[in-house]
Amino acid sequence: MTNNLKVERAIHNMTQADLAEKIGVSRQSINAIEKNKYVPSTVLALKIAKLFNKPVESIFFLEGTE
Amino acid sequence: MKTNYLLPNKYKTLGWILFITGIVSGLFTVYYGYDYEPIRIKVFSLFNDAIFDNEADGFFKIIETGVASELSSIAIIIGGLIIGFTKEKIEDEFIYKLRKDSLVWAIIFNYVILLFATILIYDLAFFHVLVFNIFTPLIFFIIRFNFLKLKSNSHDE
Repeated sequence: MTNNLKVERAIHNMTQADLAEKIGVSRQSINAIEKNKYVPSTVLALKIAKLFNKPVESIFFLEGTE
Repeated sequence: MKTNYLLPNKYKTLGWILFITGIVSGLFTVYYGYDYEPIRIKVFSLFNDAIFDNEADGFFKIIETGVASELSSIAIIIGGLIIGFTKEKIEDEFIYKLRKDSLVWAIIFNYVILLFATILIYDLAFFHVLVFNIFTPLIFFIIRFNFLKLKSNSHDE
């Protein structure tokens, strides 16, 4: 799974730390998600989508063979 | 992430103090040989099977013995458990995953090492392997967990 979290953050002019604080996780978690090293839980993905006011599918995408 | 088996973050320092004290005193015990017993007290023994003194053998006996190595073991185990299973400052699902991954890694790594030790180390030397192996799963877990935490910290924006 991949995502355009970094782009969304840039649009809303937020740092990783800002986003992390708003959804109640550590900055390391946001960093790991952006680097595709960690696939967030459904709950966390929904929280992020809700914060950016967009459907989950426009932030998180399946990749190739998934 | 709701976890019900993790202690509050404030206990972490206590864990490290116990863990390090236990390891240092444990290494002293190994270095001086297991006969070095500065503290001798009477203890309750569930089952005793002494090498020389057969009088105290059997179940549910009160025996007198040195407890230096036991105290070190208790400190390492309790300290290690506290370090591994206290909440982080920000406890979330990512750190929870790092903790779980570290546990899996530690168990596999520990038994691979033990497998090689079984094949390559014999007789009394293997006794030392067994002694160390009491603690290595916990120690490998703590090292791996802290390594992963550091790694996730260093790759920044």
